[in-house]
Amino acid sequence: MPSVSRKVLTGAGLVLLAAAVLSFPSLAPNPYILSAGIVVLNYAVLSTSWNFVGGFTGYISLGHGALAGLGGYGTALLVTKAGLPSFVALAVAALLVALLAVPIGLAALRVRGASFVIVSIALVLILLLVFQSWASFTGGSRGLVVPRPFPGLLRPEHHRVFFYLFAALLALALLVWWVIDRSRFGLGLKAVREDEDKAEALGTPTFAYKLIVFVISAGFTALAGGLYALWFGDLDPVFQFSILTGSYLVLMALLGGVRNLFGPLAGALIVGVALEYFKGQFGNTPLHLVATGLLLGLVVMFMPDGVLPAIGSLFRRFGKSEQSSIREVTAAELQEERKREEVKQ
Amino acid sequence: MPSGGLLFQSIILGLLLGGLYALLAAGLTLYFGIMRVVMIAHSAFLILAAYLAWWSHERLGVDPLLSMIVTVPLFFGAGVLLQRMLLSRLRPITLTMMSVLLTFAIALIIEGLLGYAFTGTQRRIQLGYGSASFGLFGARIAVVKLIAFGLAVVALAALYLLMKKTTFGWALRATIQHRDAARLVGIDTEKVAGYGFGLGLATAAIGGTALSLDTTIYPSLHWHWIGPLMAIIVVGGLGSVPGAAAAAVLLGLMQSLLQIPMGTTWAQTIFYLALFATLAFRPQGFFGGRLAQRF
Repeated sequence: MPSVSRKVLTGAGLVLLAAAVLSFPSLAPNPYILSAGIVVLNYAVLSTSWNFVGGFTGYISLGHGALAGLGGYGTALLVTKAGLPSFVALAVAALLVALLAVPIGLAALRVRGASFVIVSIALVLILLLVFQSWASFTGGSRGLVVPRPFPGLLRPEHHRVFFYLFAALLALALLVWWVIDRSRFGLGLKAVREDEDKAEALGTPTFAYKLIVFVISAGFTALAGGLYALWFGDLDPVFQFSILTGSYLVLMALLGGVRNLFGPLAGALIVGVALEYFKGQFGNTPLHLVATGLLLGLVVMFMPDGVLPAIGSLFRRFGKSEQSSIREVTAAELQEERKREEVKQ
Repeated sequence: MPSGGLLFQSIILGLLLGGLYALLAAGLTLYFGIMRVVMIAHSAFLILAAYLAWWSHERLGVDPLLSMIVTVPLFFGAGVLLQRMLLSRLRPITLTMMSVLLTFAIALIIEGLLGYAFTGTQRRIQLGYGSASFGLFGARIAVVKLIAFGLAVVALAALYLLMKKTTFGWALRATIQHRDAARLVGIDTEKVAGYGFGLGLATAAIGGTALSLDTTIYPSLHWHWIGPLMAIIVVGGLGSVPGAAAAAVLLGLMQSLLQIPMGTTWAQTIFYLALFATLAFRPQGFFGGRLAQRF
């Protein structure tokens, strides 16, 4: 039976992936490679968090970098100013960002498509402005040093602990995405993505659904940002509230495929490794911007559905056809299909 | 309470600034009206034009205003190509979202290439008339600001006449109002959309040159412009040129007045406050903006 073999394949793939992630710290030849691994994992968590909004509802946010920055700064300020223990501060900061996401979502999700993207960009720009100018509280452009949670650990050990922490957070984010994907809630969100007006007409509480998923996404993004702050130990508004971060997340999720549980993860592996490589090769020249721009442009023009679905359809073409009665098609595919049928008639 | 002179000065400067904003935002409303495209790269093209003006002054010794003889047609062509080669090939159903990402990618490429060609050093045009100013009822007005405003007025007036009095403007307005109906009466909407895009980028060439007269430029400067410009077109109602012009002048004036008590940095927040207030109370925009409701 095809469905059983597919399940076995998926299970085997999962075990392989988990084994690869868990053994990476022991295989990494030096602490630099390990820290690059942490950066890539951080991207994977962030783009998976982004995919709660982008993948389910189709609303594209370029502002998730700001939510991660808020998580980072929130954690850092709670540790340095309020004296909370590191991981308590992380949890409180994530909760606060989730709360803050409610009014932001209320304003941003009232409008669709283009206006939503504009608001998300504005969010990054305004936070950058505030955190740079309010130097007495945030440290401004001088940066903010975050005390380490494990002061006794040596550098490689510190990296290893945080690698596993990021892996655990990634697993949690993937699990929550998977659960929502199979729920009635997830179905409602996908209805928003395909045709918001019809979903509304059929009685889906679209606005509440969008808001809830935005808050979940903001919470996970803030967790990742806060964990990054605890690991890296030094924050600067220019990097924490950067539109580039937001665009990397979109690029990763799109490249991997937003309809796929593992799409953002695959995208983060490809783009994250490429980014680290560009950084090593070009240093601080602006050519990494050109490379990112070209990659994003190519994905948008030629692979808007992502790499994983493209590979999947390649396999389907060569493997035996496995048509079930219900399959997921996008509104765009449906339109093209209808057009083709019209031409035939 | 600031003195009357300072207040008057701020009002004059605010109006001049608002005029420039109106020119820069006009291009954005054109793209949105024609194709429902939010063009993130508009301000990157602005900075590109500013760099070309700086370069022609610095290396060729030509007055920056003369660089427009080259940049305006060049940008027009780039706009037509951009629309015909890239944007029109996106799937119609995801056009709005994907066009944002595509133009974002173009903005990154322009920023990276500018940084590579001219380095990240801040540049400024040193003009003979750069520091000249004259008094008007106690207010001091820099000549370059007046030139920039004059450019904005001339460009917007030309745009208005083109839209209202020519056959092309008539076809462009028809395409904006109802694409299918425009096609029914025999308008080649694809071609018109391409030229409309070119027109939008041509305004960016003029705006960028006006900007270069009076500002220090650097490659990542376009991020500082994209926020206020986006706020202006949302407040003005997406797709409405008169709405954008009214919002631009109003917000420019408010920014200039707020600079007295708050300082330059915090005064910028007025754009974002206006943006969020608009979305919270009147998502279709405060001026005109029939199109905005669904986008």
